[in-house]
Amino acid sequence: MNSKYSLFQCSTTAGLLLAGVLYAISPMYAQVDRTLPPPPGPAPTVHLGEHSSFTLENGMRVIVVENHKLPMVSVQVRFDIPPFVQGEKAGYVDMISELLMSGTATLTKAEIDEVVDRNGASVSASNDGVYASTLKKNLEPIMTLVEEVVQSPLFPDEEFAKAINRHRSAIQQRQDDPEGIAESVGKAAVFGADHAYGEMTTLKTLGNIDVGTVRSFHARYFRPESGYLAFVGDIDEKEARTLAEKHFGKWMPEGKPVDSSVAGEFVPGMGGVLYLREPKMPAVYRQVVVVDRPGAPQSIIRVSYPFNLKPKDIRALDAQVLNTILGGGVFNARLMQNLREDKGYTYGAYSSMESDRFNGSFTASASVRTEVTAQAVTEILAEMERLREEPVPQADLDLAKRYMAGSFARSLEDPRTVARFALNTYLNGLSQDHYATYLQRLEKVTVDDIQRAAKAFLLPENAIVFVVGDLEKIRRTMIPLSMEPFIPLLELDVEGQVKEDHLVDAGDTTAQQVIDRYLDAIGGKKAIGKISSMERRMTGKMGKANVVVTEQFGKNNKYRKEIIADDRILQQVVCNGTRAVDVQSNIPEELEGDRLHELILWSHPVPEALEVSAPIERFMDGRTTIGEKSVYKITTNVGEIDVTTDYFDVNTGLKVRRIVMQLNLGQFYVVTTDYSDYKEVDGVLFPHTIDEDGGITGVIQLKVGSIKTGVSFNDHQFDPDPAVHTE
Amino acid sequence: MFGPIQKCEEHSSLRSTKFAPCQNKPERDRASHNRRIGSGKRRAISIISAAYMITAPVAAQKRAIAYTEFDLDNGLHVILHEDNSTPIVAVSVMYHVGSKNESADRRGFAHFFEHLLFEGSKNIGRGEFSKLVENAGGVLNANTSGDRTYYYEVLPSNQLELGLWLESERMLHAKVDEKGIVTQREVVKEERKQRYENQPYGSILIEVLDRAYTMHPYKWPTIGFMEDLNSATEEDYKAFYERFYIPNNAVVVVAGDIVPERAKELVKKYFQDIPRGADIERPTIVEAPLEREIRDVIYDRIQLPAVVQAYRIPAVGSQEFYAVDMLNRLLSNGNSSRLNKALKDEQEKALNVGAFSLPFEDPGLAILYAIANAGVNANDLEHAMDAELKRVQQDGVSEMELAKLKVQVEAETLSENSRVAGVAGHLATAYTLFGNAEHINKELEHYLKLTPADLQQAAVKYFAADRRVVLHYLPLDQKNK
Repeated sequence: MNSKYSLFQCSTTAGLLLAGVLYAISPMYAQVDRTLPPPPGPAPTVHLGEHSSFTLENGMRVIVVENHKLPMVSVQVRFDIPPFVQGEKAGYVDMISELLMSGTATLTKAEIDEVVDRNGASVSASNDGVYASTLKKNLEPIMTLVEEVVQSPLFPDEEFAKAINRHRSAIQQRQDDPEGIAESVGKAAVFGADHAYGEMTTLKTLGNIDVGTVRSFHARYFRPESGYLAFVGDIDEKEARTLAEKHFGKWMPEGKPVDSSVAGEFVPGMGGVLYLREPKMPAVYRQVVVVDRPGAPQSIIRVSYPFNLKPKDIRALDAQVLNTILGGGVFNARLMQNLREDKGYTYGAYSSMESDRFNGSFTASASVRTEVTAQAVTEILAEMERLREEPVPQADLDLAKRYMAGSFARSLEDPRTVARFALNTYLNGLSQDHYATYLQRLEKVTVDDIQRAAKAFLLPENAIVFVVGDLEKIRRTMIPLSMEPFIPLLELDVEGQVKEDHLVDAGDTTAQQVIDRYLDAIGGKKAIGKISSMERRMTGKMGKANVVVTEQFGKNNKYRKEIIADDRILQQVVCNGTRAVDVQSNIPEELEGDRLHELILWSHPVPEALEVSAPIERFMDGRTTIGEKSVYKITTNVGEIDVTTDYFDVNTGLKVRRIVMQLNLGQFYVVTTDYSDYKEVDGVLFPHTIDEDGGITGVIQLKVGSIKTGVSFNDHQFDPDPAVHTE
Repeated sequence: MFGPIQKCEEHSSLRSTKFAPCQNKPERDRASHNRRIGSGKRRAISIISAAYMITAPVAAQKRAIAYTEFDLDNGLHVILHEDNSTPIVAVSVMYHVGSKNESADRRGFAHFFEHLLFEGSKNIGRGEFSKLVENAGGVLNANTSGDRTYYYEVLPSNQLELGLWLESERMLHAKVDEKGIVTQREVVKEERKQRYENQPYGSILIEVLDRAYTMHPYKWPTIGFMEDLNSATEEDYKAFYERFYIPNNAVVVVAGDIVPERAKELVKKYFQDIPRGADIERPTIVEAPLEREIRDVIYDRIQLPAVVQAYRIPAVGSQEFYAVDMLNRLLSNGNSSRLNKALKDEQEKALNVGAFSLPFEDPGLAILYAIANAGVNANDLEHAMDAELKRVQQDGVSEMELAKLKVQVEAETLSENSRVAGVAGHLATAYTLFGNAEHINKELEHYLKLTPADLQQAAVKYFAADRRVVLHYLPLDQKNK
């Protein structure tokens, strides 16, 4: 690979211009014209450095990039290991990087560290190899060290125990760091915890790891025939060959080569190993996923989804150009210009379009102040949508392409880039001239290509909108951004598990005491008792539709509810105190059993004022928190399946949230309703802002328009039968 | 200013490298502020840690960086470095102004001003500055420290003239409108949150500086305080620009694929007519040494306690500074370094340790820190740190251990100058803070001539337990216990 390409221009003469010529043809100006940017000189040529390559008898591929600018050599050993799920021992693969340099047949950890530092070298281990950089004259001792840590690491028991302890602390540190959470839980949210790219090491899985598994992994996957050895720097091919033969030529491990094209294999000491075959694809519905950090000053946003985009896909370059336009590094990218330079929401907004031979992914990210979280997400989604719908202006495309060509040229300043290109070519099965033709291919990307790539790879409606931030401050504005009908907002904990309330004992406080305090807080039983009938009208948004919800409460549990969305009746619920009908899409359903009990129970302006009796039971679960609020959690079992949970603010006594879990038409629903903005009506405080999500009607955010008490209703309004014939 | 997504080299792990944190090259000015967001993936610790470096021992002093330099009549100093191995060029300007030039009611102004100077000029509209650079295939950025502000572009070498025009526009007649001021103020607020407030241990530097200084402007962090930026007026902007953004307070460095004679002509073309400014009065505050130990507890949203110690050290450039800096390396550079070996490997008390110098023009600080392993308390951790300091103070350093440190410094020096953008930055710093571009080639000698006695003396003199700041970072839930 010895190629010369002009930067930005495909001019054939440019490649022949010498620096001296460049100097001679530019005249000096006596008068400086400052009003316009000076034009560029003739395009210089970009020289893609050469590499040579050969294979050792044991199958190890050696790559050599000769560059004598500095008396240094870098050595990289890299194994091609297919990704797989580690399961209940998740984290053992990470132990490889922790432990490779912790002892070999001849050296202790302290001795290894000493060899590295004494030679002024840098040697670091990763889960699939080792990287070393050293002065040329110290290459031999460093190669000996690399050979030992790669081929004969001992994974000493005591170092393993230390590494586990260190990792335990590191996990705690990660859990304190919003960026660390975004990184780890974000991947779990996007790929799933049962995916090689999504599974998380937790304190629990860490406890399951034994050193034998780590040794088995090393024995199976550090193998010459799937290994690469790259030399870069002050070294020629002959020297490299001698060193490679000496240190890696005799390496002959046991067993068959790893075949990642099979579904999996049984590895002694590891058990069944399933390789990643089918890439995870985007979700059907956009969903909001949050890790709560009460009081966080910023929300870390990641709009992300997995997809199938391999580096060798001919659309991969189009996708990279598209990403540059959207948010991939240039300051003029749309996310940066919109979220930072126009709105001042953030210090920086970016996107990445990762092609990957197993499972690619897209991520748009920004850290924004808490108050504008939903606006920022809305803008990110809108910029993605705009690229799908509108052809990019030629000027935007040109800027992205020029920037990428410039980046390519700059990257070649580091000779290791050439080795990286070679390694990528082998690992990803790229054509041999993939990088040699990069600039020409880049030049040919068109506006149409970008739009095609946008339609294929920008999927705003299928993204996980992942946020690490103050959930209670953003919940209300984030839920409408979800398109997921059943669980619009999924809350995860720092270990990637669905969040459960962290309960502490409520002491002597009983459920009834909390209810009584609530009734006192809103005005007292006496005032509540005076409300014999009531009509509540609420307006708001359900998705994009305008909704009007009217509820009528008559005497003796008579109740009627009507939801009108954009002037169409969406749902009616009518109850005469003993029978009830739920009408949706003109289909009436007679409510029975638990659901009837439940409806009757709630058919009161202040349902908590009603006495409950068997089979309905109410329990004190304990104290927990919602955001920074301390709350009591009270559970009401309505029947065998349906459960209602109410949360009452410990300080104010007011009800702040209700979660209803119910089985309806064979579908299990979790409906969360938040109550706030309590205002007095006839001596009783009623919430005037009600946000509901997760029900059969999706997300509804309502403001109370009016509450009238002492309304006289006609009994036929509560008759379940005529309701069927309405419309 | 802006933050490029760090393109990590595909290098390690089984996982997709998507958000793999990069190991950054060490930054000379660790207290400096990029206007760009780093990678967005920085850990709190990386803000204050002496980063790992790619090192290799070599007789670096034999590989002197060649350059030419000259002054224009208006006082502008110019340094040119030719390296034709890649067709790119770094164009940079360092202004000798940082947060120590701020008044106490405008803390953070120098850095904020750096943001504003990307807004445009008489001939460059809002948003055009970066567009011109990126359309040319280049990158741009800037950063501010206590002592200086640095702007740079790295461009294809045929765009040298563009870079010089842009920088001369910035120096001659920068322009900022109300929208720019309002927006950048919001951006800086978010920068502050992202770097300091929404990070565990993120406030370490702010808390340390506030206690380590009483009068000197190093007392406040370069990022400053929002209330001060909110109260800045039109007059402040004008005055700051006229006072500090003048050719006689700046150095222009051009490094890369250039023909020096041609580059010299172009620099003259764009910069020679910029009027010279008034001589600058520099802060003369001399902070008295700490006379006691200042000890405090900071409660943070963390699980693992941390111990931070700060010691006042000599200004950069003095021979004693190098001794202290070498001590920091002895403590934390490489896995065989003393704090790493003792606290992490042998005693298992620490998850992370670090020791580094704030290389300030006026006397700066050495900061040592350790983050506890789970179950280790801050007092135990501090005792372990102190024991290592005492060991240096009492027993000194062997010739062999010092030789190891010298090899490490040599290797670092070499790799730090492996790219033209790095060379440009080091030449600018050498001239601005050390008064001499040749410092780029002389610095290593200062390290190489250190003796074991120098290190031991510096340890006794500067790492004194009765003249330091000690902070314990503890979990918030211990606050009320």
